[in-house]
Amino acid sequence: MTGRGLRLGVVLLAVAAFAYGWRVTRIDLGELVTKAHLVRPLVRDLLRPEVLERVPRTQEVAVPVALGGPPPPLGAARGPRVEVSSRSVRVGQEVELRGEGFAAGRPGRLLWRDATGAPSQLAEFTTDARGGFVLWVRIPDTLGDRGELVAVVGLPQTVWRPSETLRLVAERMVETVFLALMGTAMGVAFAVPLSFLGARNLAHGPVGLAVYGASRTVLNVFRSVEPLILATVFAVWVGIGPFAGVLALGVHSVASLGKLYSEAIEAIDPGPIEAVEATGASRLQVIRYAVIPQIVPQFIAFTIYRWDINVRMSTVIGFVGGGGIGFLLVQYINLLLWQKAATAVWAITLVVALMDYLSARVRERVV
Amino acid sequence: MARPFLKVEGLTKVYPGGVRALQDVSFEVARGEFVVVIGLSGSGKSTLLRCINRLVEPTAGSVWVDGVEVTALDREGVRRLRREIGMIFQQFNLVRRLPVLTNVLTGRLGYVPAWWSVFNYWPPDLVQRALDALERVGIRDKAYVRADQLSGGQQQRVGIARALMQEPKLILADEPVASLDPATSHSVLRYVEELNRREGITVLCSLHFLSLARRYGTRVIALKEGRLVFDGPPSEIDAHRFRQIYGEDAVEVEIA
Repeated sequence: MTGRGLRLGVVLLAVAAFAYGWRVTRIDLGELVTKAHLVRPLVRDLLRPEVLERVPRTQEVAVPVALGGPPPPLGAARGPRVEVSSRSVRVGQEVELRGEGFAAGRPGRLLWRDATGAPSQLAEFTTDARGGFVLWVRIPDTLGDRGELVAVVGLPQTVWRPSETLRLVAERMVETVFLALMGTAMGVAFAVPLSFLGARNLAHGPVGLAVYGASRTVLNVFRSVEPLILATVFAVWVGIGPFAGVLALGVHSVASLGKLYSEAIEAIDPGPIEAVEATGASRLQVIRYAVIPQIVPQFIAFTIYRWDINVRMSTVIGFVGGGGIGFLLVQYINLLLWQKAATAVWAITLVVALMDYLSARVRERVV
Repeated sequence: MARPFLKVEGLTKVYPGGVRALQDVSFEVARGEFVVVIGLSGSGKSTLLRCINRLVEPTAGSVWVDGVEVTALDREGVRRLRREIGMIFQQFNLVRRLPVLTNVLTGRLGYVPAWWSVFNYWPPDLVQRALDALERVGIRDKAYVRADQLSGGQQQRVGIARALMQEPKLILADEPVASLDPATSHSVLRYVEELNRREGITVLCSLHFLSLARRYGTRVIALKEGRLVFDGPPSEIDAHRFRQIYGEDAVEVEIA
């Protein structure tokens, strides 16, 4: 009788908890339908990442000039040509440009490219029926003692090329993979010694047991700190950027690799250890000949697995200032640039899937 | 008997769980004997062998090997003692992922500087000796094969070669053939016997089968529940003794 009463009480309590949870988290399944229009543009943009962009083809001719010095040498020209009345100039001087061999009747721009490579527009023009133009421009106030006059004529055809977003995403993706690699390397460097100290089967005597307890505690404490929190702390410490991410992932990897490694050590066959000990080998020699050969495959597998996880984690860590692709993605999201964000999301998906596949393959091979 | 080569006196081992593995075991062994230790599983044979090279710390009693009181040695002393005692195991206990040759060379670890070991360096004369040891047990051609690629009998021969590298004055063999088939058992035990006869190495070997004990042992000691219940030549073990050692229901199984 009391058993049934108790069971009923538990059920009622569970129902009450569920009902309260429903209210407090404001679950409203209807919103999934009524507000679907809000998410539609986002989903549509996520399915249209910026990968390629269409740009008009151009003809470009650059003529180097010197400010107050002998005129610089000219490269051999083929196709369209531009002649400048003087190639040894000073600021404010007017020069005449004669272009020929360009496409006929097309719009063009004349740019000044300074010593640092930064362009500024000086004039616009249209080529004549024979593909030539004549133009007078004034040399602008500029940095350095040289520059280039660049004529750019747009052609009717267009070409596809990788978008600027894709280039940026790829660059940050590489940064992310290496961020994860460096974080993993840092983790390995500290986790390997810690794991030997924190393996129960290698701990001998009261000192050994104390060291074992201490290393286990250190590993447990580090592991319980969320990498996101670590990244926030390090972003404040060393500034926003990939280094903060490396530190955050590194500390977290020490903890999780240390635990995995020491468990691998604890799982080894004690027989060879006993046999090598019985030959009169020292502690170090026992580890070298009886422990290490048994754990190398697992250590490799765990390390690659960790790298794989770290690539995944580093995207999230980027959200809080840990650098890499995550930092770029969160900027796109904050600026509501959904198509650019989509490029980053797809890149992350691809790289993570690839890492996952490769790490699984490597693990298969070594274990 | 003159000064005994091996002397065990009042040896007792109680494991932390309270298991009394050895209870007041005493016996003496002269140099050059082939002593077979028999008894049921759990009778204390493995513990006895391991107390002699201190892989297991005895609870009470003392052990002398060649005039040295083993039970009084410090860590370094134990290490020096172990260098001269070869040990062979039921599960062979080779490092499976290392080549056979390296496994044999580990028998010499007690004599080489630790930093050699860090780089896995072995001087050519030791490598040659390891190859000779493998030659003696008939598997010179397996020197560069990974240990786990070998059959059980071959692995045990590597175990013998490893012990041989130590140039031991005593060999402790813990059920060396319990994982092997009868034919292989004989071939392995014959190598041990040869070391005993030709080099005069004292052997203390635990075995399951009485027939093997009769065939190879110059003397048999029997353990039952951690106590010494028999000590004498193998020929003295008759049906009555047999039941005393192995229990009333036991039937002797012959091994070819």
